[in-house]
Amino acid sequence: MTQNIHFKIATPERVVYDSDITEVSIPTQDGEITVLPGHIPLVSILKGGELRFKKDGQELAMAVSGGFVEVRSGSNVVVLADTAERAEEIDIERAEAARKHAEELLKKQDFVNDVEFATIQAALERSLSRIKVARRRGRR
Amino acid sequence: MPVSTRIIKRRIKSVKSTRKITKAMELVAASKMRKAVEAAVGTRTYATIARDLMVNLSARARKPHPLLAVRPVKNILMVMVTSNRGLCGGFNVNIIKKSKLVIANPERFAAHEGETPALTSLVVGKKAIAYMRKRDVPLLAAFDKMSDTPSFTDALSLTRIVIDEYEKGAYDTVVLVYTDFVSAIEQKATIRQLLPITQTNVEELLNGTTGGTQNAPLAMSEYLFEPNPEKVLNTVLPRLVETQVYQALLESAASEHSSRMMAMRNASDSARDMIDDLTFTFNQARQAGITRELAEISAGAAALAQ
Repeated sequence: MTQNIHFKIATPERVVYDSDITEVSIPTQDGEITVLPGHIPLVSILKGGELRFKKDGQELAMAVSGGFVEVRSGSNVVVLADTAERAEEIDIERAEAARKHAEELLKKQDFVNDVEFATIQAALERSLSRIKVARRRGRR
Repeated sequence: MPVSTRIIKRRIKSVKSTRKITKAMELVAASKMRKAVEAAVGTRTYATIARDLMVNLSARARKPHPLLAVRPVKNILMVMVTSNRGLCGGFNVNIIKKSKLVIANPERFAAHEGETPALTSLVVGKKAIAYMRKRDVPLLAAFDKMSDTPSFTDALSLTRIVIDEYEKGAYDTVVLVYTDFVSAIEQKATIRQLLPITQTNVEELLNGTTGGTQNAPLAMSEYLFEPNPEKVLNTVLPRLVETQVYQALLESAASEHSSRMMAMRNASDSARDMIDDLTFTFNQARQAGITRELAEISAGAAALAQ
């Protein structure tokens, strides 16, 4: 019998995904980790990027940005992300436009403060991971 | 003529225009409520998971993190969420009643009997500002420009102040007083301890039902922290506090709008009843007038015929 992981992704706005899956690869600050059923409890910091998981033999991807991951005992994985989108929800043109905009802003280099810089950088990172996820899906 | 039909007519007109206003406010509140409730319910899962995690971490952390450290309470900060505008039924009354529990019993937070910790407040909404002034509770900060649909950034600025002050040691405990949205017709004013992060049930503490004792820590599974506990706690804990505040703001907004909607619906309903009553009286008066006139005419005609 194959074991399942109860997997949930929640953002402050909504629950993006909630289902039983077989494995999940999560981008964390220390690199990507893959969680299989029966993983020991773990708390880690989520990095913006691509989150992949397998459900019924099919691989699905999502674009996530910062947050944290909690693996609970009993094969429960909870991802609390700032944003999370499924590949099919991503508007690649908008993501490209957002990336260009953020890059231009970064080139200007005359920032009012650190907070602004961090906001733009986060936006850039977000758009990059969106594009990446959307492209992957497009290829297949 | 017992009652002048003209006066009744004027009253009907005024009640009708009042009803138009209350009806319009009801509809506006209803549409705002729909949005606010959606936001509040959508955040609930995130907030619940975050709170579980927070409680787990607080029970588990070996090295005391500043946000987890329990200090003897000398100064209390009360964060209170109310509305900017009135005409929303019992919403502000209920939250103020709840806050009185803290204002009247600060000594329940004290570590030793006989001490009375000082209370300061940080408020959201004009109604709370007015109330704190009246009660002479010092204000640390007041947010009176919160939008109808609070954003995460709104919660961030508030949380920043709270965490900074707490880490400085200006306050030893922070409690959050807000309204929990149960349903469109039920909202519950709630008190929760925001900092330090423990499992203390403030409401029980204030009501004296647990006598100030804390719940036994839950049996926790061993957690692995990656890259290391300090880093994870430093990232996760402030985030969790922000989430709690954000959730409180959303729940309060949803409660405010639904409570205003209900108040306005009641007002519209009673305006309608009043119009019905007045119309009935008006018709009676009108009929009485006609009957009297007829009687007068026929009496006059009878007098002429003789």
